[in-house]
Amino acid sequence: MISEMWSRVKFFFSGKRRSEIDEEIAFHLQRETEANMAAGMNEKDARRRAAIAFGGRERAREQCREERPIWSLESVVRDLRYGLRGLARNPMFTAVAVLTLALAIGANATIFSMLDQALMRALPVRDPGQLVVLSYAGSISGHAESHGGNTEGHRHEFSYPMYKDLRDQNTVMSGLITAAPATVGVTWNNRAESVSAEMVSGNYFDVLGVPPAMGRVFDPGDESAPGANSVAVLNFDYWKSHLAEAPVVGKTLLINGTPFTIVGVAAPGFHSMVWGQLPGVYVPITMQKIIEPEWDFLPDHKSYWTDVVGRLKPGVSTAQATASMNTLFLQLRTAEFALQKDQTQKGRTDFLTKSHLNLEAGARGFSPLRDDVQTPLTIVMAMVILVILMAVVNVASLLLVRAATRAREFSVRYALGATGGQVLRQLLAEGMLLGVAGAAIGLALAPEALHLLIRWMSSGNPGEPAFTATLDWRVLTFTMVATVVASLLFSLAPAMQFWNPKLAEALRQSRSETGGSLRFRRTCVALQIGFSLLLIVAAGLFVRTIDNLRKVNAGFATDHLLVFYLNPLLAGYPSTGVVPVEQRALDAIAALPGVRSVGATNDEDLTGDGVSGNVIVPGYTPPPDDDYDVELPWVSNGYLQTLGVPLLTGRYFNAGDTATSDRVAIVNESFAKHFFGSAGAAVGHHLNRNRPQTDATIVGVVKDVKHSSMRDPATPMCYTLFSQAIRTTGLIYYLRTWQDPDAAANSIRAAIANIDTKLIVGNLATMQQKIDDQLLAERTIALLAMTFGALATVLAGIGLYGILAYSTAQRTREIGIRMALGARRATVVGLIVREVMILAGGAVLVTIPLAILATRAVRSELFGVSVMDPLTYGAGIAVICLVAGLAGFVPARRAATVDPARALRTD
Amino acid sequence: MPPSADLLQGTLDMLILKAIALRPEHGWAIAQRIQLVSNDVLQIGQGSLYPALHRLEYKGWIRAQWGASENNRRARFYSLTAAGRRQLEAELENWDRLAGAVNLVLERI
Repeated sequence: MISEMWSRVKFFFSGKRRSEIDEEIAFHLQRETEANMAAGMNEKDARRRAAIAFGGRERAREQCREERPIWSLESVVRDLRYGLRGLARNPMFTAVAVLTLALAIGANATIFSMLDQALMRALPVRDPGQLVVLSYAGSISGHAESHGGNTEGHRHEFSYPMYKDLRDQNTVMSGLITAAPATVGVTWNNRAESVSAEMVSGNYFDVLGVPPAMGRVFDPGDESAPGANSVAVLNFDYWKSHLAEAPVVGKTLLINGTPFTIVGVAAPGFHSMVWGQLPGVYVPITMQKIIEPEWDFLPDHKSYWTDVVGRLKPGVSTAQATASMNTLFLQLRTAEFALQKDQTQKGRTDFLTKSHLNLEAGARGFSPLRDDVQTPLTIVMAMVILVILMAVVNVASLLLVRAATRAREFSVRYALGATGGQVLRQLLAEGMLLGVAGAAIGLALAPEALHLLIRWMSSGNPGEPAFTATLDWRVLTFTMVATVVASLLFSLAPAMQFWNPKLAEALRQSRSETGGSLRFRRTCVALQIGFSLLLIVAAGLFVRTIDNLRKVNAGFATDHLLVFYLNPLLAGYPSTGVVPVEQRALDAIAALPGVRSVGATNDEDLTGDGVSGNVIVPGYTPPPDDDYDVELPWVSNGYLQTLGVPLLTGRYFNAGDTATSDRVAIVNESFAKHFFGSAGAAVGHHLNRNRPQTDATIVGVVKDVKHSSMRDPATPMCYTLFSQAIRTTGLIYYLRTWQDPDAAANSIRAAIANIDTKLIVGNLATMQQKIDDQLLAERTIALLAMTFGALATVLAGIGLYGILAYSTAQRTREIGIRMALGARRATVVGLIVREVMILAGGAVLVTIPLAILATRAVRSELFGVSVMDPLTYGAGIAVICLVAGLAGFVPARRAATVDPARALRTD
Repeated sequence: MPPSADLLQGTLDMLILKAIALRPEHGWAIAQRIQLVSNDVLQIGQGSLYPALHRLEYKGWIRAQWGASENNRRARFYSLTAAGRRQLEAELENWDRLAGAVNLVLERI
């Protein structure tokens, strides 16, 4: 058995050369002849008798060949060579087919690569399967800083004391790590810039299994006491790009004005336990007060700000660990509850009874970015798959048309004794050639396309993008498999037609339109129309979405607006010096030529973040369980005017409101209506934040503006002055320019540097750029949808033209007869076009319900368009009918111009 | 020409295997031996010899190599593989059983 298989394998590679068999038979005959001659015959007779004794030589040869296996390498190579010759003879067809496949496969490789990086790759750490992400359910009281990724019952931010207790008292984890992101000012070689950083626990690198590339990484000794560990580890890419791979171990770096000693550089390829975060520098978590000078989180049980990930002990299952950790967690929460102010039964339920810890698989890391891109990427992947299907149908129909002209060739082969299997093999070989050629070109183009896409997506964003433009083995494997499957599918199309060896009849008869082939052609046409309609409708819907989003009225004028971020605390200013320098910056910018007005706020608009909280209005009793969140930005005097927020009643902030004058506030329309019933009634009332020194008088009411994003409705807002605030903070400056805002960038940097060279101007960009950044996901989908829609239309046009040209050519005789019998040219053309349109109409009718179903699934990504938007569907149907009609009209017209007499004679 | 007995395909295989059991032979020599040893009763239509040889080679029971014949010409020599040897034993056993059974029936009927 095994030897049989082994010899089969050997036979595949060596086969039996025809010449060998000939040589053997010749030898045999020679010996027989000699034996005969030795018995006394003359040479001629001896030879004759030998031949008779041997029997039929040809027959022996054939029978020997029959013993050969069908699948030998020699015959495969022969099929390939033959296929290549055939394809080279039809360069037009080959070029179109290969390009179609290249586009489809290239698009697939590009998008799948992004999908793979975002959704499937595990973290580049040791044993990522052992990692779990911690989150919890239960109420909190105090300050929560979210970095995204929270859902109902899954809050990811823990307090530092809770983290330490969980880490030190658990029995099921071999290590528990924590990390929190921050933006810091880094000064190296007297150059200061704003850098993304991560505050991490001492065991961070150990537990993840990330070695140092140079020097050392942190150990638990680097988490000894608040403020005591001024050491830093650099990220490898950051060290390469920003520090020019200088020898840095032992050198000093200023972070927020404080000297830190660099102890090492992390291994290349590692960024964070959170996918999508790209910190440049890691510092111990105990240095939090220096990294975030406005806050002192470390000792506070009621500040929730850092994410936690753990590594299970070997042999411990997630279920076991969850049970054990929950017991510990509840103990700790009970102890915390005793310190709460709210000791009511309800409070107890919310805080304790309904509280539990979740452990989720963390092989791919915790990632809010992943949650954001998941739906858009899946949508785009679905579109890519549609494109591939279209390409397959397209190439299948092209092959079908070509095969129809080879009917004679195949029937001759059958007559000469080819089996169905051999013909099938030939067709498959040709299909594979096309598939592999298309895949090769597509894969060659994919990295460049990926690079362009990533660059387009991250244009305007500082720092490195989270995606890399390389194709890894998983993408390549997927592409190979897709190519092979696709090639098989479209090779089988002509194969189905020629499977039947009884094609000798085709030699005699000229046009035999078997029902099967006609039906198959019609199916191809219908499929192409259907797929391209789906893609065009998708394109239309997404393009309208992005259009609507761009046109949404933010409530304030977004043109000629320049934005940047300034935080003096990062440059080492003490908290008493912050407000004066911020004010100086405001004055300096206002004095610049070309600047119309300038304002500042601590709560950036349209970025999806917010600083919100509760507001107490004396005289207003909120209904029970009311949790009315109000946005609470701290602004400068000129902020509202700079943004152009219309004033409804009362007054704006003015120069009379200073740090020492009475506290004032301005509220927006929603706020006023909620608390006072109408906009006008608000002026003059007081409000406070349930903290000392926050009582303020309302002096004005402004219109609602969009704050967190263009999609979300306006929120109630209460503006107070940053100079009158109880704490210092960094500010975002908005300035409106007369001319093009980009031109002002350099003068702004110069003006700030003039005040103090240590100050860092961060994230300088125009408002329009920031809005576009917010809409990145939608813009990407719209761009890709438009590309694929256009691609689909072109493919449909080509494919339809091919099939219809062939079908019409088939009917030349019929047309000739009709015209000979008196039909006019227009009638004949109309006949053919009408048939095409009926087919198209049928395909459209079937596709529309499918399209509606599909778009309902992506409803969440749409904005301002209904799922059954008539404009989009109408336009899509019109386009596709136009394409189909044109594809049918051109060949029909050509056929109808042929002289009827000649048409009748065509064979 | 003496009448040639119809040979079943299976028996032909067995004869070929036995013919090269002792030492490798080329195609013509195998045919000659079988013819000679059977006193010319068994005349293999020599055209059917080569397909049989190829079939046996494909099944892995015999192995072929090019070598020099008695008169220094190139010829393909066939020899038994280990699997072929096992197959030969099995077939011989079968043949004995079959022949024995037929004999029994012929005696007793």
